[in-house]
Amino acid sequence: MPDITSVISTLDERQPYITLKQAKKSSELACDNTSIAGSMSQRACVYSGARVALNPVTDAIHLVHGPIGCASYTWDIRGSLSSDKETFRTSFSTDMKELDVVFGGEKKLSKSIDELVELYNPPVIFVYSTCIVGIIGDDLQAVCKEATERVGIPVLPVQSEGFKGTKSDGYKAACHALMQLIGTKEPEISSEYRINILGDYNVAGDVWLVKPLFEKMGVQVITSMTGDATADSISKAHGAQLNLVQCSGSMTYLAKWMTTEFGIPFRKVSYFGIEDLAIALRTVAEFFGSEEMMARAEEIIEHETKRIMPEIETIRNRLQGKTAAIYMGGAAKALTLIKGFRELGMEVVIIGTQTGKRDDYKQISYQVKDGTVIVDDANALELADLLVRQKADLMVAGVKERFLAYKLGVAFCDFNHDRVIEFEGYDGFLNFARELDSSINSPVWKVYGSKLKPAVDDDTATENRSDLKTENGTGLKSAIKERNNMQDLNTAALQEESIA
Amino acid sequence: MTERNYTTVNPCIMCQPIGSVMAFKGIENSMVLLHGSQGCSTYMRLHLAHHFREPVDIGSSSLSEKGAVYGGSENLKKGLKNLILRYNPKVIGVSTTCLAETIGDDVGRIIAEFRDEEEELASDVIIIPVPTPSYEDSHNSGYIKAVEAIVKEFTTGDNTSDIFNNKLNVVLSENVSPEDTRELKDILSNTIGPNSFILLPDISETFDAPMTGELQKIFPGGTTHADIADMKNSAATIGLGITNDNRAVSYLEQTFDIPSQNLPLPIGLEYTDRLLAALSKIAGTDILDQYQKERGRLIDAMVDSHKYVYGTKVAIYGDPNNVLGMLSLALENGMHPILVVASSKSPRFAEYAMERVKQVKPDCDVTILEDVDFDAFNDAVRKAKPEMMIGNSNGKYIAKEMGIPLVRVGFPIHDRVGAQRILVMGYHGAMEMLDRITNTILEAQEEKLAAKWSEPESYVPLGEDSFHSAEA
Repeated sequence: MPDITSVISTLDERQPYITLKQAKKSSELACDNTSIAGSMSQRACVYSGARVALNPVTDAIHLVHGPIGCASYTWDIRGSLSSDKETFRTSFSTDMKELDVVFGGEKKLSKSIDELVELYNPPVIFVYSTCIVGIIGDDLQAVCKEATERVGIPVLPVQSEGFKGTKSDGYKAACHALMQLIGTKEPEISSEYRINILGDYNVAGDVWLVKPLFEKMGVQVITSMTGDATADSISKAHGAQLNLVQCSGSMTYLAKWMTTEFGIPFRKVSYFGIEDLAIALRTVAEFFGSEEMMARAEEIIEHETKRIMPEIETIRNRLQGKTAAIYMGGAAKALTLIKGFRELGMEVVIIGTQTGKRDDYKQISYQVKDGTVIVDDANALELADLLVRQKADLMVAGVKERFLAYKLGVAFCDFNHDRVIEFEGYDGFLNFARELDSSINSPVWKVYGSKLKPAVDDDTATENRSDLKTENGTGLKSAIKERNNMQDLNTAALQEESIA
Repeated sequence: MTERNYTTVNPCIMCQPIGSVMAFKGIENSMVLLHGSQGCSTYMRLHLAHHFREPVDIGSSSLSEKGAVYGGSENLKKGLKNLILRYNPKVIGVSTTCLAETIGDDVGRIIAEFRDEEEELASDVIIIPVPTPSYEDSHNSGYIKAVEAIVKEFTTGDNTSDIFNNKLNVVLSENVSPEDTRELKDILSNTIGPNSFILLPDISETFDAPMTGELQKIFPGGTTHADIADMKNSAATIGLGITNDNRAVSYLEQTFDIPSQNLPLPIGLEYTDRLLAALSKIAGTDILDQYQKERGRLIDAMVDSHKYVYGTKVAIYGDPNNVLGMLSLALENGMHPILVVASSKSPRFAEYAMERVKQVKPDCDVTILEDVDFDAFNDAVRKAKPEMMIGNSNGKYIAKEMGIPLVRVGFPIHDRVGAQRILVMGYHGAMEMLDRITNTILEAQEEKLAAKWSEPESYVPLGEDSFHSAEA
């Protein structure tokens, strides 16, 4: 701890989680721990991790076993889109009451599963456990196993008791559920080159801007997990020869399992920004070792880049030299954002994540300039202090951070569930650039923090400046003065008339 | 989606802790610490930030597996300490979650221990525990419980004054918008005087803070501590909201002999009349000219709108007292409230709703439901076939599927801006609401008319082949 400079004032215990990138003495950032009580962490729980990673499976029933709150707050908040069924946007809960807590919720859960199968005829049910299930000891595994046999569709437990770890453990729980599905159906093969897109959640339709790029290269995309995925497509995921992992925090675990289980290797890629997109396409072509595919990839890269560059350059001129703060759930997005900002002429001055690991922060540290603050599991007040200290012009984060940034006069870009426009692919990057432009260059920031000044001469202003009422009063006074002058003029005019 | 017995599909309610948060946010210089796992506080922050579009900070004791097994005392104390160190609040509400309740933490004892151990730090901080397990009731009951706990805490103790203050307590029993809170304060200020009432809770500033150029750790505003403590010396209490037991009101009456009456939320003409009449009686004054004029303008607006809204079948849903008010407003404007749905169960909602229907439109067939989920509501909507819905944004799926307009009001509204500034209370609020409803109907009618009179396919435009063509 002693080699860590105190960047801002915060709880002593939190200091090791905040560091300044310096050329010579770079200190290692503390990370990957549970949040400190009362620190106002921006993180959620295990359940939230499982829920965000699995929820986009479009035709599944996502049944939350627990009291109503957990289902209420997660009802259709993911922003993921579907090309077919929309079952995932409906909220299902066993709504446990006091009696269920006392006598156990297994029976209610079983009956709930039967009822949902009857009513919705889903291809799969994911059953999420919440805090209370872990305490009262409902045997989720057993209930789900029995149900699977009884109802004839996979009913898969997601062990996501909120308090049993961090959001990352929730990702793992989600991956475990996916593992139960993968390999259960024979894939239809339409190309000799096949991949899965892992760690893309199709927020605002992201996947739809990426998948066609691969298809143009002659690659079959078997499934995208979990954005716009169906139970069916997930079951066939083992038909791929390569897994592309974007959100590495959530899906590397699954990719590794698929390597051991099916011998499918994986590559970490990103579909955000001109450089990373090109790398992603080339990675695939290189993997398959097809010159033809590589030529096609180069063609796409050249054509698409040329297509969007004129507007990107116009916007870059308006963004040049502006500073950005990044606070993301996972490190993969944070890393690719550094490049994205660079491509738009902006410089990152703060970068942080909720769930980054040691290696992630090392990589981040290589990527950012000296003087950049790197932070793990930042809380509201730290982020506020950092935005001020680092003079950020724009913050990119999620909803909770948005209004904090606004109150500080910092422009904001939502790169989380709340956005309604795609940021991936070539058009997505253009969208991103446009959004930064509109956020940073909006005239609202010119009036930010301003106060109305009284409209009076300097000598009279001193006596009345405390509040609006007296300001109005003074305003009125001068108006009266003006009116009196007018009257004088009028009288003068009348007099002149009468003289004439 | 037909009969269900075991699953809740698309819930109408949230859990108790979020209700307690909304109450505590209406208290000056206060913070809430949720005793439970990290997710509860984060999810509620998200939910509230989405609606109010303000930063919302809610502490968490971040219970982990260790805490769940060996008790959460250590985490709770640490959470309290860190919250005080970082935010310096003068009031901390400690609301429990299902996790804390189920592991059986004795929150009162833990707080007492904390006070002993951190004497200096905790000396001037009032810590108020509220048991709000999520497996009981709803956000509405969480709100009432927190308000009661706050009043009890502040009015108990030796060092509080007991000099009669001749003030009026006004205690809410359901969450209302910051704009409505401002309207209430205006009405109270104008009728009985700016320093003659104590409104609790008051989120007018804390959940709708002006942009000042700096970020405050805790937004200024809220009912002051001195005022809450002084509630026991008031002359009378008005409880706003009548469907549930307003526990703080009964407590003040039973403990300090303060006469009280419960009135419906002042939504629509009749219910606003009731509040203003009660205030005029309390103050012993005539109805202010200002409100006579406002009332007159409302009636003028009602006359302007009556033909457009008459008979419009409407489904009203949301929190019970808000729904009751909206029902009243719909009825007195000649609308046909065909379906009236309260999110949570309350002892007197159905009774009052029926009473109001009978008063205004006895022959009106109306279905009154409570404590249902949106799926059951959906079934009821399909059956009743309303032409319009009035309620929070969670009804958007149903409205969309039915192809009918939704007038957004209540909590939560996550898909539109301005939720914190929606005004429904007072004559002014009734006017705004009626205008919104009428204009929505007019817009829908225009679309219908446009579809009805749109250019038929057989229409031959003026042109060469036409009789009127220049060559003819």
